[in-house]
Amino acid sequence: MSDNLARVLTTETLRPEFTERTGADERRHIEIVSPSTHTRPRVVYALSAVACVGAVIVAQLLLSVGISQGAYEISALRASQVELGRTADSVSEDLIRVSSPQSLAANAEALGMVSNSTPAYLQLSDGAVLGAPTSASGGAAGAAGLVPNALLAGVPLVTQLPAGGQGTSVASGAPAAGTAPAAVTVADGLPSPTTR
Amino acid sequence: MSSKRRIAATVVVLVAIIGVFVVRLVDIQVVRADTLSADSLGNRSVERTVYGSRGEILDANGVVMAGTVMRYDVALSPKNATTFTRTVDDVDTTITVADAAAEIGAVIGQSPEKVVALIKESLADDPKSDYAVVAKKIDVDAFRALDALDIPWLYLYQNPGRVYPNGAVAGNIVGFVSSAGEAQAGLEVGQDACLASHNGSETYERGADGVRLPQSTVTTEAASDGSDVITTIDSDLQFFVQKVLAEQAQKTGAAWGNVIVQEVKTGKLVAVADYPSVDPNDVSATTNPDDRGSRAFTASYEPGSTFKALTAASVLDAGVATPESQVVAPYRYLPENGANINDSSMHDDLRLTLSGVLIESSNTGTSLFGERLTDQQRYDYMTKFGVGTETESGFPGEDPGILHPAEKWDNQTQYATMFGQGLTTTALQVSSIYQTIANGGVRMPVQLVSGCRTPDGTLTDVPAAEGTQVVSAEAARDTADILEMVYQKAWLADTWEIPGYRAAAKTGTAQMPDGNGGYSKGYLVSVSGFAPADDPQYVVSVSLADPVNMNSSAAPAPVFQEVMSQVLKKYRAVPSGAAAPDLPGTW
Repeated sequence: MSDNLARVLTTETLRPEFTERTGADERRHIEIVSPSTHTRPRVVYALSAVACVGAVIVAQLLLSVGISQGAYEISALRASQVELGRTADSVSEDLIRVSSPQSLAANAEALGMVSNSTPAYLQLSDGAVLGAPTSASGGAAGAAGLVPNALLAGVPLVTQLPAGGQGTSVASGAPAAGTAPAAVTVADGLPSPTTR
Repeated sequence: MSSKRRIAATVVVLVAIIGVFVVRLVDIQVVRADTLSADSLGNRSVERTVYGSRGEILDANGVVMAGTVMRYDVALSPKNATTFTRTVDDVDTTITVADAAAEIGAVIGQSPEKVVALIKESLADDPKSDYAVVAKKIDVDAFRALDALDIPWLYLYQNPGRVYPNGAVAGNIVGFVSSAGEAQAGLEVGQDACLASHNGSETYERGADGVRLPQSTVTTEAASDGSDVITTIDSDLQFFVQKVLAEQAQKTGAAWGNVIVQEVKTGKLVAVADYPSVDPNDVSATTNPDDRGSRAFTASYEPGSTFKALTAASVLDAGVATPESQVVAPYRYLPENGANINDSSMHDDLRLTLSGVLIESSNTGTSLFGERLTDQQRYDYMTKFGVGTETESGFPGEDPGILHPAEKWDNQTQYATMFGQGLTTTALQVSSIYQTIANGGVRMPVQLVSGCRTPDGTLTDVPAAEGTQVVSAEAARDTADILEMVYQKAWLADTWEIPGYRAAAKTGTAQMPDGNGGYSKGYLVSVSGFAPADDPQYVVSVSLADPVNMNSSAAPAPVFQEVMSQVLKKYRAVPSGAAAPDLPGTW
């Protein structure tokens, strides 16, 4: 628009000079200059340029809104991934702990199992008995305690678990006492080791 | 006032203003650019340690014996420890320091007073104190509980910890790390190069609400995980062996003891039990620092009569005797060189074969056979059997034992070395001697670690598995037969009998040094042997030091019996079918 105004000014300021120098050309100049025909396309250009800029800004805005929305999503997912990873580590730690030989031996003993130190085999092909079978003598109870495992402190034996078909997740070590995860309820109930 | 001067003034003012801006711009963009951009980044960017996890130590079946877990340290800022407001479900609660201390204490198992005292003490030391450690290495459950408390002046840090799921099972072998994560003992030290991980770091930028900005993560240093060490130990058997050893050691009042189970064909150590054994999860519970290592590897002593098997194998291999060769073994033997050899108990002259010498465990009889070889010949056999050098196990601080060169043996030592005195061996070296005899005279390198498995699964540092022929197969077979006679006919035959299997074994009773160059009153009693005798699969070697309640090789014999039975059962060794050879012991 200001461009247009400048043009008009130019022609007006030029006109007296032209009148003074070449008076004959004065009429022709007035007829030729047609500001309106020059002005209209420039407005369209300007408008379209502004519209383009606007569109770019809007698109950029939407894009960055989208990206930051994604950032929040990533952040939330990352956090839940970390949490799930912690849970997985924690439960696998519990699993490894209860599958340690000390835990298995103590539980087997608690259930009344004894180991037999005299191996004997039955050969299926001909029914031959290999070795000299004798009955198990029964080991000393609590022998598992001879090979200590500090991680098992406070972990109950299967026989000490509350009856009634509930498996209690393993209480974690001493520092975490009181913060053990809540009891896991099993729908149909785990078989409780009440019989021997 | 002309317009020219006005323009000039304007230009001057403009130039001055622009000049100020330019100076400022250069100052910000060029002179202080680095400082300022670092400052601005510091306000938005966060640096984070990415922990590489130390490799695991696994047993032969992949059971984790040492693993890395994420633990958390808890610290608080004493200067900021004040009453705060907690909003739960739009309900504001005011939490005082005492309330918070009670909540923290309940989670980490400390009294609230202790937490409050920590804050007060820290502030007394330094009123601006911003950091005081409340608890170290708490687990995930405790971490979550503390995190949920949302106490603004309580901070939680990651701190990877080491965990030993099997406790004292192979604790002496696996070793342990310090609370700072530095390897302290056992394979943790010996295999540190394989296990070690490398922590890395990354930076990222975050918004005012703490959300990580996309595409802003820069890994400044890549973290790398350690490799896993795969051992030859069978943790189940190891547990059984440790239990049996501990039972018998306590019953007999032994100071310490060890049991080694070795695979005959490969030289792999399947179990190396030590008593007392350390629980790497709770090292301080083992008060004596010597009990925290593995004496099977690091303690050498005079082996005593178990060594006679080596002398027998040597004379048989050299062809100077057969199992039926005859000698008259007196109670006291005074060789020409001036040595003085006598047996452990008074007896008349015995007409013994080489087999009989080992059955009776006669020192004089062994001397009469041993002197058929030169000192240098016997020295060479000993070194080929591995005496005097540490084994190939790679255990840190392994003791090579003491074997002086033959030319340095004095008159008594020349004879004493025939029956296991005047030199020292570790329990491992004795086991290796029996492995050689059981394996047709081929000594396999002692193997404790079967390799280092990198995170991408490739196995490196696989130890050599090339055996060396120490004595001929015939000599080894004859020695094995003699040892089987010992197992059948020696005074402990009923104690160590394994029904259904043929076995070979030899006892040893050696005086222990008192630490001042002399002997103490205690004995180191041992049994070494292998089974099944017709196709040897496993060597079991038991040692008990100073069993005050039973100071003879009757103390380790039941351990040998129980462990060998379990080994044969576990690995499904076929019970012996053929009848045992019958070698005459006397003539």
